[in-house]
Amino acid sequence: MPINGMTSSASALRYWERRQEVSANNLANVSTDGFKAERVFATLLGGSEPVIGTATDHRNGTLRQTGNSMDVALGGKGFLVVETPAGERFSRGGSLRLDKDGYLADAEGNRVLGTDGPIHVGSAALSISPRGDIALDGNKASQLRIESVADGVQLAHEGGTRFVPDASRTDVADDERDVRQGSVEESNADPLGGLVDMIGVQRAYAAVEKSISVLDHVQETATSQLGKPV
Amino acid sequence: MNPALRTAASGMMAQQLRTEVIANNLANVNTTGFKRSRAQFEDLLYQTVQGTTVIGSPDANTQSAIQIGRGTHLAGVTRMHTEGTLEQTGRPLDMAIEGEGFFQVQLASGGTAYTRDGSFQISDQGMLTTTGGQQIVPGIRIPSDASDVSISRTGVVSYMKSGAQEATELGRIEIARFSNPAGLMSQGENLYTETPASGQAVSGFPGDEGMGRLLQGNLEGSNVEVVQEMVDMISAQRAYELNSKAIKATEEMSDVANQMVR
Repeated sequence: MPINGMTSSASALRYWERRQEVSANNLANVSTDGFKAERVFATLLGGSEPVIGTATDHRNGTLRQTGNSMDVALGGKGFLVVETPAGERFSRGGSLRLDKDGYLADAEGNRVLGTDGPIHVGSAALSISPRGDIALDGNKASQLRIESVADGVQLAHEGGTRFVPDASRTDVADDERDVRQGSVEESNADPLGGLVDMIGVQRAYAAVEKSISVLDHVQETATSQLGKPV
Repeated sequence: MNPALRTAASGMMAQQLRTEVIANNLANVNTTGFKRSRAQFEDLLYQTVQGTTVIGSPDANTQSAIQIGRGTHLAGVTRMHTEGTLEQTGRPLDMAIEGEGFFQVQLASGGTAYTRDGSFQISDQGMLTTTGGQQIVPGIRIPSDASDVSISRTGVVSYMKSGAQEATELGRIEIARFSNPAGLMSQGENLYTETPASGQAVSGFPGDEGMGRLLQGNLEGSNVEVVQEMVDMISAQRAYELNSKAIKATEEMSDVANQMVR
């Protein structure tokens, strides 16, 4: 015997659980460079049950100066493009290094792409201008590819602080670029907000549980009392 | 079990590692030529719980994806090769590199190691060595009767022979630089070795283009800033607590769920 309130309460429990999982992931990544926090929302679309979704918060994290020439952060919008075995991916930069053949690569060894493909640094001294121009030992070599997607597009998150680009990707114009060599972008997860959110989740979860037990009581009364001969 | 438990546990482990790195930095606050490290993390794989479209649903285009991350892991520990403060010692065999570059020394195993620690000694064979006994490359022999050993900014080592009027040149110190010093591998004893990530060593004389200059009678101190490490330690500790709170909250939610069935 389905009771309408029971099903929606169950979906509410699921919603709060999801939210807790996402909060836990945000908190686990408060010190992950280039991390973008996720948030969970629910919308009511005519039906009786709300639809749950997650969205990424693309606000910039704090830039931290490290002085390492291969630490790259983006001050403005956009992403660096890296080449992974699964195809091109977006990344907000971080501590780059050289792979075994002397190409500029991210921490996992995915090559960073410039306008002419992967960037060979070898043993040259690397310098990167705010527009992303790459100079090796003072000679201009290539330019970093910096791309962004249309406003409102939700990019799929991948591990390793990478995102999967979609069809609306375009180059970021030179004057909108702000590449910072010698800095890393810190996580944009907000520890305090996450904590407060978690308290709210916990309480709401308990409240929904209460409503389920109340509904259960109602059902119990209906089945045990109504049928009784007077 | 609720996956949030494991996610939060990965966060606690990350903060633990971060504290270990900070503790090592603080332990080396007075180590000559020491470079502070920083732990770096990456997020783990994301689970797509619900795709973007549901076939046959009237809301097919408005259905949003649910992506839930599963925590964090250590991506690497990078050294920050910023220059430490120079300390004047007045000892003739102490050298500091002002700018880029590393002294090259010979390892007992045969390879070459690189160091910023310029507190050199003279071995029993008269060779210039590090405090750990590794010879500088190319080797420089200092005669036992040498006095007034001087090392120029460009690395020329010379001394005054007793009774002589002019200095005698003994050799020239070479230094090496890397395109990515952060990629060097630490070997302990203030030594580093080359890795693919650091790029190949480019050697040259001090004062050449792109190379630092030598300062005799100085040592480069550690580049650890105690205040910065303290602030990082506080933030690691708080983040550790936060993640433990997440575990507690998740646990209490499971408890609530278990109470539902009486």
